[in-house]
Amino acid sequence: MLALSRKKNEALVINNNIEVTILDIRGDQVKIGISAPKEVPVYRKEVYIQIQEANKEAMNAENLEALEDLF
Amino acid sequence: MVTMTKVFGEIEIDDAKIITFDGGIIGFPDLKKFTLLYDSEKSGGIKWLQSLDEPAFAMPVMDPLAVKETYNPVVEDELLKPLGKLDPEEILVLVTVTVPKDLTKMSVNLQAPIVLNAENKKGCQIIVDNEGGEFPVKFMIYDILQKKKERAGE
Repeated sequence: MLALSRKKNEALVINNNIEVTILDIRGDQVKIGISAPKEVPVYRKEVYIQIQEANKEAMNAENLEALEDLF
Repeated sequence: MVTMTKVFGEIEIDDAKIITFDGGIIGFPDLKKFTLLYDSEKSGGIKWLQSLDEPAFAMPVMDPLAVKETYNPVVEDELLKPLGKLDPEEILVLVTVTVPKDLTKMSVNLQAPIVLNAENKKGCQIIVDNEGGEFPVKFMIYDILQKKKERAGE
């Protein structure tokens, strides 16, 4: 992983079209601004992982016989 | 093509029924070809998004409106770019269903719907904004389905 040090109001440019700016630093929390084309999805990682896990769980459907009785 | 499926054994699939997820599904980026299967005589609302790359991979999916009548998340047009030109009449929205051993803990994922373009057979999974808490990853549906069934039986 590339590690770069940045101060408040400094930024990074990724791939000519994505800009990541450090907006604020307070204690252990950093506020980050991201300018990217709208078709580039940006997610909080914990949300993304939650969805990955939900998809994996869905792929492992159990109890299919009992499912029939629900409808 | 003839393919093995998780729930329906070996079946023949018409090429016109192949749905392409160019970006894969979240957590399964390599699974790009799917088809939608269901038994018209059974399991009312459940359909299966069956992977054609990996026969063991199939996800139960359903119409979100069957469990949440007001489901209508705001989706940025750009997120649907992978689907090509969209005719609103040709869009199909499905949510994935988690079916655990304990059925009372059954849920649908309202935060990451699957969107299909029936016209060009392209699909993608998107993540919608859940700041208001309206679209949880685990929206419990057992009680809702039970009540629906009771009402239908009256």
